[in-house]
Amino acid sequence: MDRDPVLPRKTAISYKTEEKTVMRGYNLSDLAEEGYSFCDALFVLYQGRIPPEAEEKMLKYEMGVFLEHSMSPSAVAAIGVSAGRPNLPCAIAAAVSTFGGVHGPGAAHGYMLNKYLERAHREGKTPEEMARTLVDEYMDAEKPVMGMGQPQHIDSDPRAEPIHVKQEDLELEGVYLKFQRELERHFHERRKREGRSRVGVNVVGSGNTALMEIGFSPMAGWCLGSVCRGWSCAAHALFNMKKGRAWGASRNEPMVQMIDLSMIKYVGPEDRVVPKQEERQEYARKQKEEGEYKKWAI
Amino acid sequence: MGDLNDIKKKRGIGHLDSPKMPFDYFNREYGTVPRDTKRAPFQWVSEVAYKNVHRIVSRGYDTTELMEEGYGVVDVLFVDYQARIPLIEEEQMLNYVMILALEDGLSPPAAMSRIVARTKTFLTQAAAASILAFGHAYGAYSAFGNRLEKYLKKADAEKLSLAEAAARLIKDWAAKEPESLGVSNLMLKDPAAKRMIARAEKLGVAGKYIGFMKEIVKAAQNQSKEPVDLDMLGATGAVMMDLGFSAEATWAILAVTRALAAGAHYIEEIERNPYMRLGEALTPKEDYDGPADRPVPPLKDRAKVARSGICKSVDEWAKAREERKKLVGSGYAVVEEIEDPSKKSGIKKVGKL
Repeated sequence: MDRDPVLPRKTAISYKTEEKTVMRGYNLSDLAEEGYSFCDALFVLYQGRIPPEAEEKMLKYEMGVFLEHSMSPSAVAAIGVSAGRPNLPCAIAAAVSTFGGVHGPGAAHGYMLNKYLERAHREGKTPEEMARTLVDEYMDAEKPVMGMGQPQHIDSDPRAEPIHVKQEDLELEGVYLKFQRELERHFHERRKREGRSRVGVNVVGSGNTALMEIGFSPMAGWCLGSVCRGWSCAAHALFNMKKGRAWGASRNEPMVQMIDLSMIKYVGPEDRVVPKQEERQEYARKQKEEGEYKKWAI
Repeated sequence: MGDLNDIKKKRGIGHLDSPKMPFDYFNREYGTVPRDTKRAPFQWVSEVAYKNVHRIVSRGYDTTELMEEGYGVVDVLFVDYQARIPLIEEEQMLNYVMILALEDGLSPPAAMSRIVARTKTFLTQAAAASILAFGHAYGAYSAFGNRLEKYLKKADAEKLSLAEAAARLIKDWAAKEPESLGVSNLMLKDPAAKRMIARAEKLGVAGKYIGFMKEIVKAAQNQSKEPVDLDMLGATGAVMMDLGFSAEATWAILAVTRALAAGAHYIEEIERNPYMRLGEALTPKEDYDGPADRPVPPLKDRAKVARSGICKSVDEWAKAREERKKLVGSGYAVVEEIEDPSKKSGIKKVGKL
């Protein structure tokens, strides 16, 4: 039996022998036996330390509130993939893969905060002063301020403010919360002054602030959020695999299905004749010269 | 669009006017299908969760309220998958299982994440790739759990003792699918799997699946010539099912749990190693055991050197198939049955106008 690592690597994360699996120095089985929680283990994994209880509680809260989000791009991906009835992990992987520049951009928010905190450090400013600079620079450049606004929860993200309050209740206020709170205050004030509607903080803005405050890097925070959503997306995929109609187009279902033919609205070039091979070169040359195709090229 | 069809008919299009076609190709309509007004419009049907502008609700519980009441991420897994609040002991047990499932060294999920990482992707892509590594051997929770269900039902129906059902399971499957038994020679020196079962018993959450798993271990030990014992698949699979999770839910939960650590492997990989460019990786000739190097024949000689793939008789086909199996990577030596469950599901009660 070949028990060599799949990929030979030097690693500081873990080792595994015939006797035990050790992560950042702790035997995983001993960690579980001692009664530490899964969230504690995540601190060990990403930060190499056992956290104080309050920090563990904060992570438990943040991941718990982020886990399920009903119909968002990630759940839609999971359900869409499950329609073909592949192995379940394919649907979950698709869901996690939806987390990019717009859907749950935790790392980007974290990098933004770190960039301005570094500047505060360099320029001898307070987090509050630098937060105002950030808002002004972003809004002057007409760039969206990361962590503000949510397309579905237009009247304040139900998860966001409670995360801030929880962080304060747990007395975990540090530079990140100071910075984020001031960022929000100044953002609201400026939008009001400009006669624009109120746009609340979203779960990335508050959740990521909390994650970074308790020591997770922007990248680790992104992983915790986006991957933990995979759990709920798997539930949505499973529900559809066990109780929904495969393929998603059956006309025998009483409700029009997700990819019923009638769901297609086509707005591309009109139906046209395919040129014969002997016409091809001339046809293609003319098409290229006229350039109408550029309207459709993506 | 009659005109377009007429134009096309006059011009002819390849073989589309062949009398062998079961339809009149030039009489087929163009344009999209109009909206179906006889059935209810499409909606995302879910028993799992809904949300509106103000709240997110899973199985009836507002998720923010759950957190405010002191529940946490592990509790939400019970809510999402089982529509219930777990007992404290159940929540403790799931924490225990997930700690053990979090990290597994440089095994396939970590390797997947690292390989993807080196091509310069988002972290989420690499973490997702790690989930894809949970196949029916590395992440055999579906096969394992459904088999437990099947043999427990068999024991009920045929009035077999658990020991008899376990002996039959091992007899039927030990040779056929050793990777999904939950008992193997992988953990002869590592007590973690057995400690997990002991913890489940101590917490009072052990039930029929753990009981059956113990019998399976005994049966395997009786029937195997080599030393075997409970492994991590057997322990986590049985415990998860005693916690009320289906085989598929177990598969999903543990694959995602592992992906949380795959993210750390992604990070470490890009911290320690450079990105890999297209064409950079070489495959040494000494690792190659395919056909020897040979000259590419001139295209004009194609008819002389080409070999047909067409088999005119079944005998010819059978012979060719055996021959083709010898070309590793052709796929002929692999048989993967894929079930079509499409007729077995559907939500007839939802969406009636």
